[in-house]
Amino acid sequence: MTERPPKILVTKIGFDGHDRGSRIVAAYLRDAGMDVVYTGPWQQIPAVVKLALEEDIDVLGISSLATDHLLVPKLIEALREAGLGHIPVVVGGIVPPEEEPALRAAGVAAIFHPGASREEIVAEVGRLARLARAAVEGDV
Amino acid sequence: MTASLVERLLRGEPAALARAITAVETESARGRDILRAVQPRLGRARLVGFTGPPGAGKSTLVGAYVGELRKRGKSVGVIAVDPSSPISGGAILGDRLRMTEHAGDPGVFIRSLASRGHLGGLSPAASRIADLMDAAGKDVVILETVGAGQSEVEVAEVADVAVVVCAPGLGDDVQAIKAGILEIADVLVVNKSDLPLADRTRRQLKAMLQLRAARVDVAVLSTTATSGEGVAALADAVEAVWAAKGRPPPGTRLKRIIAEAAAREIRAKILASPQLAALSSAVERGELDVATAAAALVRALGED
Amino acid sequence: MAEPVQLPLPGFDQARARWRRDYEAQIGTDRVVRNRSGIEVKPIYTPDDWDGSRYMEELGFPGAPPFTRGIYPTMHRGRTWTQRQLIGLGTPEDFNLRIRKIIAAGATGLSLIPCNSVYRGYDVDECPIELLGTCGTTVNSVDDMDRCLEGVDLGRISTALNDPSPFTLLALLLVVAEKRGVPWSSITGTSNQSDYLSHFVANHMFFRLALPGARRVLLDHIEFALEKIPGWNPLSVVGQHMQQGGATPAEAMGLTLSTAIQYATDLIEGRGHAPDKVLPKFTFFFDISISFFEEVAKFRAGRRIWQRIARERFGAKDPRSWRFKFHGQTSGVDLTRQQPLNNIARATVQAMAGIFGGLQSMHVDAYDEVLSVPTEKAAKIAIATQNILREEAHLTDVIDPLGGSYYVETLTNEMEAKIEAVIAKIDAAGGMYRACETGLVQTMLGESALAFQEKVESGEEKIVGVNAYREEGDAVDVPALDRPAREAMEAQIARLVRYKEARDQAATRRALDGLARAANSTSDNVFGAVVEAARAGATHGEICATLRRELGFGDVLVVP
Repeated sequence: MTERPPKILVTKIGFDGHDRGSRIVAAYLRDAGMDVVYTGPWQQIPAVVKLALEEDIDVLGISSLATDHLLVPKLIEALREAGLGHIPVVVGGIVPPEEEPALRAAGVAAIFHPGASREEIVAEVGRLARLARAAVEGDV
Repeated sequence: MTASLVERLLRGEPAALARAITAVETESARGRDILRAVQPRLGRARLVGFTGPPGAGKSTLVGAYVGELRKRGKSVGVIAVDPSSPISGGAILGDRLRMTEHAGDPGVFIRSLASRGHLGGLSPAASRIADLMDAAGKDVVILETVGAGQSEVEVAEVADVAVVVCAPGLGDDVQAIKAGILEIADVLVVNKSDLPLADRTRRQLKAMLQLRAARVDVAVLSTTATSGEGVAALADAVEAVWAAKGRPPPGTRLKRIIAEAAAREIRAKILASPQLAALSSAVERGELDVATAAAALVRALGED
Repeated sequence: MAEPVQLPLPGFDQARARWRRDYEAQIGTDRVVRNRSGIEVKPIYTPDDWDGSRYMEELGFPGAPPFTRGIYPTMHRGRTWTQRQLIGLGTPEDFNLRIRKIIAAGATGLSLIPCNSVYRGYDVDECPIELLGTCGTTVNSVDDMDRCLEGVDLGRISTALNDPSPFTLLALLLVVAEKRGVPWSSITGTSNQSDYLSHFVANHMFFRLALPGARRVLLDHIEFALEKIPGWNPLSVVGQHMQQGGATPAEAMGLTLSTAIQYATDLIEGRGHAPDKVLPKFTFFFDISISFFEEVAKFRAGRRIWQRIARERFGAKDPRSWRFKFHGQTSGVDLTRQQPLNNIARATVQAMAGIFGGLQSMHVDAYDEVLSVPTEKAAKIAIATQNILREEAHLTDVIDPLGGSYYVETLTNEMEAKIEAVIAKIDAAGGMYRACETGLVQTMLGESALAFQEKVESGEEKIVGVNAYREEGDAVDVPALDRPAREAMEAQIARLVRYKEARDQAATRRALDGLARAANSTSDNVFGAVVEAARAGATHGEICATLRRELGFGDVLVVP
């Protein structure tokens, strides 16, 4: 048995199209030894769910520079309906402080604001991935 | 537990297929159990390999080819292999982003795979993951790799039909395409045929094929994946190769898979063998030649 | 009048040797300092670096080639920059309320930022309601545009429309003008998101139609404007997207000029227009980072290169073709979420770089932009910043006040060489269209973005409050969010549905069919057909859907 590196989906939902941040984060995670499934912008929620399922990912990362984070609660609900409630969802980008509680309440596992360091992102995503993998292996 | 996963896999449930792939990818005991359980049900899907140099537009072409197969009513599995970083071991798997038009289609299952330690080549698990997709009822399984190092040749061995994709103006000209590639291609595609040098590239490829009399039957096609031009002809050409080759006896493939697995095992044993260091020193001192040392090592392994 | 400087200066060599000895004794091991574009920055600049002997070739006087000191003889002494704050939030009524206040306060120009759903080419009834009106105004129909501009004299107010290909908002505006009896000849303004290549490689949100279609519609739009709306600027080449996407200042300028070369070639060689007919319509739009001297040099060098391109590459004879007119926006990339009020200081420095760089129009970012959509309070501070720099600091009293600085002139020459190298690289790749199509430009941006971020991670590039001078609990003065009320958006959707029901369905159908035919013909002007469709009652979403179907969805080449 070989260990599989953490497998992370980095994607964008909604309308925004800035990808400087998501490209940098993808490179960070790869350089930390993770496998990163990377998509273009404007993914529909059902498509993200299908992708998460097919790729058997450990963590789902949403990059949001405009207001796309407002769709994340819907995404988490859709993941749960598809039996993928174990996948932690993290959000990176611009999230106004007063909208954080609603995202946390919806189940967002971590929020990375502008200025979050490489170290912080890699450590937290890695930790969440290990937890998620352990949960799956205990399952089925 | 595994039994029910196998049942769900054989019914074609995407969640079961996804989990089974992870089990096989990590070479777990559960993965081996799953493969053993589904083995008698394999052999229905046809396996099409796509390879070629980076920048040839393979992923986009695969996306367009999948679209054509869907039009023809086929269900499709795609294994998209991206290279792992030799430094960190991590990988960015970005191929499926060129296949977004199938994002909502339940008839298409796409799985990205990192090439892992296997330098420039195919992950050893790729061929078995294709088997899982076969077991899940996919009519066609596509294996897409970046043509770096060994992978073209490996794809040709694994796939029923090998499609080699190149683009005009990559490098100086066709000479940039590695030697050996023409020998393995069942279908050669010049993608991005809207570019100025496309015709020249196609003529050069044909000329090179004619120098090697054994493969005059290889189709050389032009496609423009972004507009869909030539994609139906590509699907027809793959069909034609399949029809001409016929279904290979299942033993052929299995023999190769067993042989490869055994070879990996033996190699690991050789590298771990205590005799290796002693024999190496003897060769270094000039007491033994390499061939004699190797023969001695093989004898020693057999005695274990 | 002083005599021109004679070199060598008496005592120069000895003084320099003494300084070098003292400097080295005090500093120990000197570190290499490089600016964002990778140019090594020395501890001091003297006549060794720039002696003014090539003043006439390199600088000359403002309003004349090579325009290093500015494109107009009087520059900011005569006319300061246009203060163009981008606005757009919520419903057309919300927008109207805000611009009427601004016009009452004396503004002569307005700019419209549509909702992100509009950017993506959809109507409000096709989108998740959570996202509507959160970043801009929801404008879908002639009715919406009419309400946005209620009480606004279209013949007197210049309008900047942040709307990419197929430029539906301009079509809606033209129809509103028609209905009000305002002649198109009196309409002025800019299509300031017309640069589809920058959308393809960097700010993907604006990319609606596949590359070949986007290329064609831009050219049609420019030709339409040249012929029928003479006061309109149909083209703005957007370097801002390149720099925000990760390009260094030199790369951003080089890629922007390469983009302009592509569009000019398409118009002159592709469509057969005279250079002096099209080049005066070219305007540019840049990011102004906090790398102060580098930005000043970027703009000075850019001006010099553009006039050379216009004259030497395209053979333009009319001086208006040579002028590098640009709008600058202070960079949001440099702003921090930590200690957000510090962003006022950052925007001030950025704005100064823009002013000394000789811009024609400016938007200063609100300090809270990094937290959310800017609040009104923060937007007012951004306006005040510009007024303070002009009225209190007197930055506009002297034209090109940094000109003649040994450092600034040397840096301008070095930036010029860097920028020229980028242009040469893109030329070698077959031009900007091709370099974007193959992913070359995207790779350049990604590599530079990562390299800069690595410097921040390593602490080589310091950001106050982020990797230096940090404070716990520093998120002070968090602005109150202005999200549109859900009911207001529900009403907006209901209104659009009613609009669609009430119009002449047959006429709308015919116009949309006509648009599809135009897209498939090689001779029709697609933008003309967009205007026809808007006039017949078709909505923004319907027009975009028709063109997506006929010309292809604007998928971008994502390079991870």
